[in-house]
Amino acid sequence: MNCLQAEENFSAHLEDALDYQTLQRFESHIAECTTCQREYARFSESVKVSQQLPQIEPSPYFIPTLQQRLAEEQRDRLSFWQRLQGTFSMPKWAISGVMVGLLITGTITFLYHDDWFNRENQPSNEQISTPRAELSSGSPSLNNQFLPRASGTSNFPSTISTQPPQQHYTLKRVSYTTVSTEGGL
Amino acid sequence: MLELDDELMQRFQKGDEDAFNHLARRHQQPLINFIARFTGDRDNAEDLAQETFIRMYKAANRYKPGRAQFKTWMYLIAKRLCMNEIRNRGRRDRFRVDNIATNDKAYSANDEQIDLIATAPADAAFQPEVALERKELRDAIQKAIAELPEQYRFPLILRDIQGLSYEEISKILELRSGTTKSRINRARLMLKDKLKPFMELL
Repeated sequence: MNCLQAEENFSAHLEDALDYQTLQRFESHIAECTTCQREYARFSESVKVSQQLPQIEPSPYFIPTLQQRLAEEQRDRLSFWQRLQGTFSMPKWAISGVMVGLLITGTITFLYHDDWFNRENQPSNEQISTPRAELSSGSPSLNNQFLPRASGTSNFPSTISTQPPQQHYTLKRVSYTTVSTEGGL
Repeated sequence: MLELDDELMQRFQKGDEDAFNHLARRHQQPLINFIARFTGDRDNAEDLAQETFIRMYKAANRYKPGRAQFKTWMYLIAKRLCMNEIRNRGRRDRFRVDNIATNDKAYSANDEQIDLIATAPADAAFQPEVALERKELRDAIQKAIAELPEQYRFPLILRDIQGLSYEEISKILELRSGTTKSRINRARLMLKDKLKPFMELL
């Protein structure tokens, strides 16, 4: 065994984990080599001292703080029903009833919403037959700049066609002027 | 037969919140020690230890008593948090404008906190000179450990300070047993070389 091999076995020797043959070779090398004797002595001393480093005591606030944080986690971990019951202080069946009622109301509102909306906003016959020109060529306003214009005609058709009219949109033109920043942005 | 940790975990999984508090009380000190020794930061060690327990609390349902050891699992989580902390600290230090203090200065400030307990008189035969020498030595050891590369620092702390078995360390570090043993031996050799100037104190 050479010095390098001996060094590789320092920990195993210290922990009494060498097999008989290796132990014999290790000890005969150490007995002959003064460098390894010194290094092994230093090695075992430094291990001993590091094993004796004092334990750090946790602060007295460690467990109370942890318990507080765990309680917060527990609240977050509660199930949907547990949270609802906690909020409304109602039995489970009552919450279920309220929720079913809300669900039915929501569904009815959703299904009949279009009908109600159309009834309220349906334009009268007069509005439909209003010439488009009056809207687009009258006094310019912000609204009519974005209204769809029927191509080739200036008026709305008096009756609603089954074919959708070809439409194009006029976007408001925006111009930019260059302003000097005097070298800075 | 289940170990006490596993039994407590089983109780916690069945809804006994106190069982987890009991586990935290049992393992708080070794966990804080491990984190403080590894990061060299006493104050932050408690925050990281709390974070470790909270992660365990959240993932408790996935824990299988009898298959994995509670202690191994705890150190595995703590190791990952320590690695993240060191990575983030490196990033923070790089971008800090007022990063004037050297690592050594920052380090010795932490040591002061650690060694307040270490140097406290334990008995009537307390001698200030001896305590000072011991404090110097402990400072040197802590500094030497902190200077070790991560791959050697972890196994050394787990073995020599936390007193874990090679098998447990191999599981925590996800290494083969032979690699763990050689890394611990290498780490101890490095530590011995770093402590050479203090050898007359030993």
